[in-house]
Amino acid sequence: MQEQHISTAFDRDLEGIQSNIMKMGGLVEAAMIDSARALKNRDVELAERVRGDDKKIDALEMLINEDCARLIALRAPMASDLRAVLSVMKIAGALERVGDYAKNLAKRTSLLIGSATIDGSEGSLLRMIKEVEAMLGDVLNAYVARNTDLALAVRLRDHTVDQMYNGLFREILTHMMEDPRKISTCMHLHFIAKNVERMGDHVTNIAEQVIYSVSGELPEDARPKGNLAVADDL
Amino acid sequence: MTKLPIKISAKNVDVFYGAAHAIKSVDVEIADKMVTSFIGPSGCGKSTFLRCINRMNDTIDVCRVTGDIMIDMEDIYDRRVDPVQLRAKVGMVFQKPNPFPKSIYDNVAYGPKIHGMARNKLELDEIVEKSLRRAALWDEAKDRLQEPGTGLSGGQQQRLCIARAVATEPEVLLMDEPCSALDPIATAQIEQLIDELRSSYCVVIVTHSMAQASRVSDRTAFFHLGELVEYGYTSHIFTNPSDKRTESYITGRIG
Repeated sequence: MQEQHISTAFDRDLEGIQSNIMKMGGLVEAAMIDSARALKNRDVELAERVRGDDKKIDALEMLINEDCARLIALRAPMASDLRAVLSVMKIAGALERVGDYAKNLAKRTSLLIGSATIDGSEGSLLRMIKEVEAMLGDVLNAYVARNTDLALAVRLRDHTVDQMYNGLFREILTHMMEDPRKISTCMHLHFIAKNVERMGDHVTNIAEQVIYSVSGELPEDARPKGNLAVADDL
Repeated sequence: MTKLPIKISAKNVDVFYGAAHAIKSVDVEIADKMVTSFIGPSGCGKSTFLRCINRMNDTIDVCRVTGDIMIDMEDIYDRRVDPVQLRAKVGMVFQKPNPFPKSIYDNVAYGPKIHGMARNKLELDEIVEKSLRRAALWDEAKDRLQEPGTGLSGGQQQRLCIARAVATEPEVLLMDEPCSALDPIATAQIEQLIDELRSSYCVVIVTHSMAQASRVSDRTAFFHLGELVEYGYTSHIFTNPSDKRTESYITGRIG
């Protein structure tokens, strides 16, 4: 990776913060996987566990922010060190948001108990979660390996997620029009889908922070957007 | 970098101390009405280069300077240039405050006197007051102008040296680690002063404190092993330097 600092304590501090980011990333990944499984199996117990575990994610974010504040105050990081600290704070913030959405997904699972599954749409939704979860895994790898190519690739995949969301949106709308009794279930599914789409945006932000931290520059080109016009109006 | 009026222009400057090659073909253009800082590890040549700008190196027998250094397009190493006149135009402040063993008043009045800048006592008084005000020392010194300069505190002495330097109406102010012997409050006062001097002078400061370079300067030049490695906007140098060696130095990875 990078050369060592003359002050080994500086290296220790930075490594400590980075290992906390990875720990946080691992917890968020687990929250996504578990909340998806809870939804699929209508598993209230698992959903409750996801909701409870979100506190650990929040606590880690606070810890990371405190460590960063201390590092800035005591070590006055410069150049790549400064960028590392700035990006860590933003990545921690983005991870916390993704964790929140997973918690929200788990909360809605509890509300869906007893309602019929919506054929097709739930499968699409689970695939979408899986895609975002894979992106999160890749972006965390890109972070550890300081791999900007991988981060760029993750950033481009957000487009796919947007498209998946648009497809789901139409599917869910169709179900609601066909059978008004499904509206309440469909509304929950739609909120979940929207939240997963937002998770994808946060993962993309993380990818951009990885690129900034390594290269000092944010990607300039606007990233390709799925057409969200129809959905954003709602 | 954007085009600004260039005050000091160095081309292909090499400096030797006997056989030792201290500065290796340095090219740099320093803008007027700006603060430029030179940073780099000890022995990198930043002070040597600073001392070329007012020909302080002339006083060292074994020192040899080649290449061109121009101020306002005039070659300062031209034979017709009088180093004493040059040093009135290019003032210098050193690491340790070094007031003359004279009164506060005489410390400031000395330069204007030998350069014949005042016709009478009244004019001299005016120069002394103006210089002490510029150096933000007037309020503290006005009631004790006849006391010895060496009786002031370290930070006050350094401001006295700045007053002495500005008394000859220089255009360039060179500062060689002006705060390294001062406490943080005195340092902050000097830095505030540098910020005010920026509007009237071309200020060049050598500093070991990267935090200081980042606080006071518009442009930063990084020297390493006698080479000018990187020169650019201070904000750029400290967030995203272009050269690997700059990066390593400012993040504390090489000494």
